[in-house]
Amino acid sequence: MASSTTGEKKILTLKGGDNEEFILEESLVLQSELLKNMVKEERVSSIPLPSIKSKTLVKIIEYLKKHAELTPSNKEEFKNFEKEFVNVVLEELLDITVAVNYLKINGLLEFCCQAVADRIKDKSVEAVRKIFRIESDFTPEEESEFRKETPEAFEGDLDDTTN
Amino acid sequence: MEWDSNSDLSGEDDDVIEEEVDDELDEDGEKLGFMLSGGGAALPFPIDSLLQPAPCGFVVTDALEPDHPIIYVNSVFEMVTGYRAEEVLGRNCRFLQCRGPYAKRRHPLVDSTVVAEIRRCIDQGIEFQGELLNFRKDGSPLMNRLRMTPIYGDDEAITHIIGIQFFKEVNIDLGPLPGSLVKEPTRLLDKYRSSLSSSGPISEGNRTISRGFCSILQLSDEVLALKILSRLTPRDIASVGSVSRRLYELTKNEDLWRMVCQNAWGSETTRVLETVPGAKRLGWGRLARELTTLEAAAWRKLTVGGAVEPSRCNFSACAVGNRVVLFGGEGVNMQPMNDTFVLDLNSSNPEWKYVKVSSPPPGRWGHTLSCVNGSHLVVFGGCGRQGLLNDVFVLDLDAKQPTWREISSLAPPLPRSWHSSCTLDGTKLIVSGGCADSGVLLSDTFLLDLSIEKPVWREIPVTWTPPSRLGHTLSVYGGRKILMFGGLAKSGPLRFRSSDVFTMDLSEEEPCWRCVTGSGMPGAGNPGGVAPPPRLDHVAVSLPGGRILVFGGSVAGLHSASQLYILDPTEEKPTWRILNVPGRPPRFAWGHSTCIVGGTRAIVLGGQTGEEWMLSELHELSLASLPYE
Repeated sequence: MASSTTGEKKILTLKGGDNEEFILEESLVLQSELLKNMVKEERVSSIPLPSIKSKTLVKIIEYLKKHAELTPSNKEEFKNFEKEFVNVVLEELLDITVAVNYLKINGLLEFCCQAVADRIKDKSVEAVRKIFRIESDFTPEEESEFRKETPEAFEGDLDDTTN
Repeated sequence: MEWDSNSDLSGEDDDVIEEEVDDELDEDGEKLGFMLSGGGAALPFPIDSLLQPAPCGFVVTDALEPDHPIIYVNSVFEMVTGYRAEEVLGRNCRFLQCRGPYAKRRHPLVDSTVVAEIRRCIDQGIEFQGELLNFRKDGSPLMNRLRMTPIYGDDEAITHIIGIQFFKEVNIDLGPLPGSLVKEPTRLLDKYRSSLSSSGPISEGNRTISRGFCSILQLSDEVLALKILSRLTPRDIASVGSVSRRLYELTKNEDLWRMVCQNAWGSETTRVLETVPGAKRLGWGRLARELTTLEAAAWRKLTVGGAVEPSRCNFSACAVGNRVVLFGGEGVNMQPMNDTFVLDLNSSNPEWKYVKVSSPPPGRWGHTLSCVNGSHLVVFGGCGRQGLLNDVFVLDLDAKQPTWREISSLAPPLPRSWHSSCTLDGTKLIVSGGCADSGVLLSDTFLLDLSIEKPVWREIPVTWTPPSRLGHTLSVYGGRKILMFGGLAKSGPLRFRSSDVFTMDLSEEEPCWRCVTGSGMPGAGNPGGVAPPPRLDHVAVSLPGGRILVFGGSVAGLHSASQLYILDPTEEKPTWRILNVPGRPPRFAWGHSTCIVGGTRAIVLGGQTGEEWMLSELHELSLASLPYE
């Protein structure tokens, strides 16, 4: 698809959920399996992604740019960038993860999934509930059954401040 | 048009698709998630509808390529069929007519007249509508009401075929899928249905919360949620599963538990655990819990049929899958033996069976027998008629005509007996210490990689070795780390039973022995009195997760040899603990041979009972409960 051309480089437009438009080189977009397939199969110059918030799209495009510039010499720098990339509030991280999953940016998806998993790691049941704002819908009987069955689940880290 | 002849996709007209899916869209499609619309540009087919999480399976194939490979499947297709997009992209769709991913042919119940009709429609370039029997990845049947529509390009050639699949359950009892180890317990379609009727899509309004983790828990994101959860530990999954009903359901997924166990224990450990037939195996979740808490560990007595004759001692045994294999030993008048026996614990009445094998190695005792490469056994060293040996023989137990084959390699270790061995990565034999000519004790460590065609012995160079010894154990933990425990060790001019623990990480560039805990090493004293008394010829079992369990052997004084001791070498300061388990332990656990079956059962063969070596009365330490009890 994608086909306004300036000079040699193909340009295409991604339209975020709030109709904000992002114009970028097609080569960047090819890191997304989904968009790559579309670019290959179709001829469109703009791709609306209404369910991805512009804020999320900005982050993802930032990543695509950094990743495209990755060379053996700036590996360390990129690793630090990745670390900072997922160092955001949980809700934003989940938005990014869902969007990346949809766009099928495989390397980044692995990284995001690990980042989400790290927020759950070693946490107690109560902490997971608070972090993800989930209320228990078990009966008190069921709850006490769980405590008896898997006490280790309740003994995890009580710290729920990871955000 | 090969594609069609066997494919079971449904297709629709451009118009039909647009109509149908647009309807979806108006109701809930827009809110369901991501959407991609044509943006006014000319599209040969309505791409926005493709990307809608519509309640039907959606497949697009490339009709210009030979065999019409799939270029797109939607998430409903993935959820309902159990096949992930990456597994099916590039393939022709006809695999849905085969029962499970390993079947090669269309299942006989698939209506061939319908298949022929599909072919006719495609040949004529017209739409097809009909019902066709399909199979999920787990082998369960489902009825596919499908529509297939050819899409024409500018030059009147068919460029794509779109299939829309409305799946419904079909009640045919086909029996279990041959060769499937795990019965897929989750019916994704059922879940999908109930979610359609009850929860409905996420709406813009409650985005703030449900777009958070909860959105990942929405059904269309189940695959993603599992992808995240699979990176956690068994404890974490237990924690997540206690959060809410929805998460409880989600964490019951057997594939998830398998992945979690594999991440936590390593793939070699899970492979061994999987050698136990499905019906006799616990679910991964239960197994993870029982192997963590050891709550179900128990001694059992096992009576088996058959006989190992002539009678013998100082044989070696090891497990191949769920079979115990016994080789060689010392017969009457110190006669070295070279016969092979198998005890199949899968059978309902297990019995010892003599196995006829060609070109057996020279007879021996005090050798080691290890399992490598799945079903291969490897014999090393021992004492033969002409003295000590350092030869290597390999046998494929599953071969049609099992034959021992000698592996000759340059620079083999010194001939020896009463050495110790273990298997690394499932393919590499490691041999350490033992007793060389004139009773000299050894302290070296050798590695033989049996995954390559011409295996070569390699000594692991170290700057310091633990005192030389025989009758010790080597255990593998944490992937590529080995742990040495006990044995009869040299100490100046004397030899003492040892309770020392040494470890070496073979994944390091320059592996070195480290003293973990023991009696004789400065600064490595054991806190309290719970360390196992020094011993040799004992048993060490590696538990998934890295812990080592020790019992048996020759122990001085009045200590009970069957008392269990457990050590976690991954702890910062590893400490021995006593493990008490119910059941009747073997009265004698000295001079026995033991093997670990399926990673969870330590089978104790023989033992010092005075005169007789009883191989029909076995003791078993099972670390997990048996599902059929």
